[in-house]
Amino acid sequence: MKLVTYFYHQREKIGAIDGAGRVVDLHRAYSSYLHEIESNPSGDQLARLTLGRDMVEFLELGEKALDAARKALAHASATPNATIDTILDPKQVRVMAPVPRPGALVSAGKNFSDHVAEMASKKGPGAPVAFLKLPGTVIGPDDDIPHPPEVKNLDYEVELAIIIGKPCVDVTENEALDYVAGYASFNDISARDVIRGENKTGIHLMGKSFPGFAPMGPYLVTADEIPDPQNLKLKLSVNGEVRQDSNLSYMIFKIRAMIAYWSQMGLNPGDVLTTGTPRGVAAGRKPDQPPWWLKPGDLVEAEVENVGSLRNRIVAESSIT
Amino acid sequence: MRVYLGLSENSLPHQTRIFADIDGKFVDLDLAYARYLTQTSESTGAYERAAFYFPETIAEFLRRGEQSLRALEDVVTFARQSSLRDLRGPAGEKVTYDPAEIRLLPPFQNPGKSFIIGFSDQARVEAMPKAEIPTGFYKLPQTFITSGAPIIWPKFSEEVDADACLALVIGKAGKRIEPARAWDHIAGVALLIDITARDINRREGLTTNNLLGKNFPSSTCLGPAYLPKPARSELEALELELAIDGSVKQRFALRDCVFTIEEIIARWSILDIKPGDFLAIGASMSLQGGRLQNPVPLKIGSTVRCSSPTIGELSHQVVSSGGLRR
Repeated sequence: MKLVTYFYHQREKIGAIDGAGRVVDLHRAYSSYLHEIESNPSGDQLARLTLGRDMVEFLELGEKALDAARKALAHASATPNATIDTILDPKQVRVMAPVPRPGALVSAGKNFSDHVAEMASKKGPGAPVAFLKLPGTVIGPDDDIPHPPEVKNLDYEVELAIIIGKPCVDVTENEALDYVAGYASFNDISARDVIRGENKTGIHLMGKSFPGFAPMGPYLVTADEIPDPQNLKLKLSVNGEVRQDSNLSYMIFKIRAMIAYWSQMGLNPGDVLTTGTPRGVAAGRKPDQPPWWLKPGDLVEAEVENVGSLRNRIVAESSIT
Repeated sequence: MRVYLGLSENSLPHQTRIFADIDGKFVDLDLAYARYLTQTSESTGAYERAAFYFPETIAEFLRRGEQSLRALEDVVTFARQSSLRDLRGPAGEKVTYDPAEIRLLPPFQNPGKSFIIGFSDQARVEAMPKAEIPTGFYKLPQTFITSGAPIIWPKFSEEVDADACLALVIGKAGKRIEPARAWDHIAGVALLIDITARDINRREGLTTNNLLGKNFPSSTCLGPAYLPKPARSELEALELELAIDGSVKQRFALRDCVFTIEEIIARWSILDIKPGDFLAIGASMSLQGGRLQNPVPLKIGSTVRCSSPTIGELSHQVVSSGGLRR
């Protein structure tokens, strides 16, 4: 199932994508399922309690919510004259990141050897490396990425986002994938010059966390639809020119190892881990980088195989604030 | 006057309430203000107006701006002049509580920006006299605890330490704030203890990261009080102390920090800051005798206290993770 968070009529809603690529309002569809199939008169209220108010609550509610979502989707698809607000053309809504406010957003660094080499950074690590991006940086699959006026070296990194579905503490690599709710495509936007400045005396935080530096989506593809997340192609292009083209099979610390390691900090439903990126970023371009730094007007497309693609336009921040 | 976030017997589940401590009692500000309104002005809509000024969280209270801070002054003056034992809500609701009747929570639950200003270990070793920018790191809200809760020693570490911090609480949203306006955006302070798994932090520092070493359950002790905006001179003179098992190990005041409030706010407001966010400054960023102070090593069983006469005290015991985690 493909789950989405979307904005429609001034409200944030959760939905699922049907066979025709339309957005099904899960609350409305489940409520009408309860009314029509189970003759339950308090369908509205029950739908709210079963599905939660947003994607994090939905994930916290676990199997029951997923099961309700499946029933709702099947019911809506089988109802030819479902009301217009229950099944929507995706053009009618603003699709947001599937998890617009993760509790924690843990992004791996130095996790592809070809990327470590192109960055000429210190040798591959002995333990997984990651940093926190601020949850507030998350934006949707079609949203604009603001180019902050103080940033000179704006860069991209296509990655896979792994969305945690259950409280996850000290798990083993073997059981790690049982804790995954699903996957989304992710672009780890970075201000390389700001990061260099921060790294002189501190750690990098601001350089990874300007507003809009974490496009995610277009939906959460549930784990059952991605039997082997470790073997997916990833690709990123800028204005149609391919810059990154690789496969998650080249990760240094694999997805299972990442989940097991970061579960030591205690992960919760709706927390997101991202895989790190392969070679091809602007900072790694030889011999000169300037032509590849992102600039206002550029269109960045990031895609993970079977998971979906992001299309984000870079805009000057001054033009939107 | 100090403000707290907590749960009382009148709270619905998950519905936090705001309190002030007056003469050793905790006063429910929403109900006390409703009472104040019915006594001093027209009584219609007293509950609604009180709930507007004193909503469920301190962050929301700060979002209301100056008018909420004025309501706070009014209600505290009113409560001080009343007989606390007899103070009740408009319909006779309980308003004052003994401390034991309130479950205090970290005063800020889910800020978008919860930063601590800090140097990497590497920079500290090289004893940077004055860095160009106040770099910082982020503490996840899920790591917050408040006074009384145990600090759980993380299984993955053999070296855990504590650093006393003063959190500057943001009261007014802003972005790219001019240094001259920085002070206008600060709404007060809270105590914070930054707990670090130093061995992990040192290793993560080699790649200029810090995540696991700074973000595990109970690694951020916050509160329990939020002290609404003191005068600037008063704020800079606030002295904080960190004591382990009764012996004072760190002592600092904001004026000893290697960066000014203006430098810190100007830098971090590049990202935009909102009411309820905070920027904390640690003893380890303050100079004593020309040198940076160090965080203080902990042991299982240690009692950690961070205190300041006007803000109050955080008190925690360090316990082993055995039995508490899977």
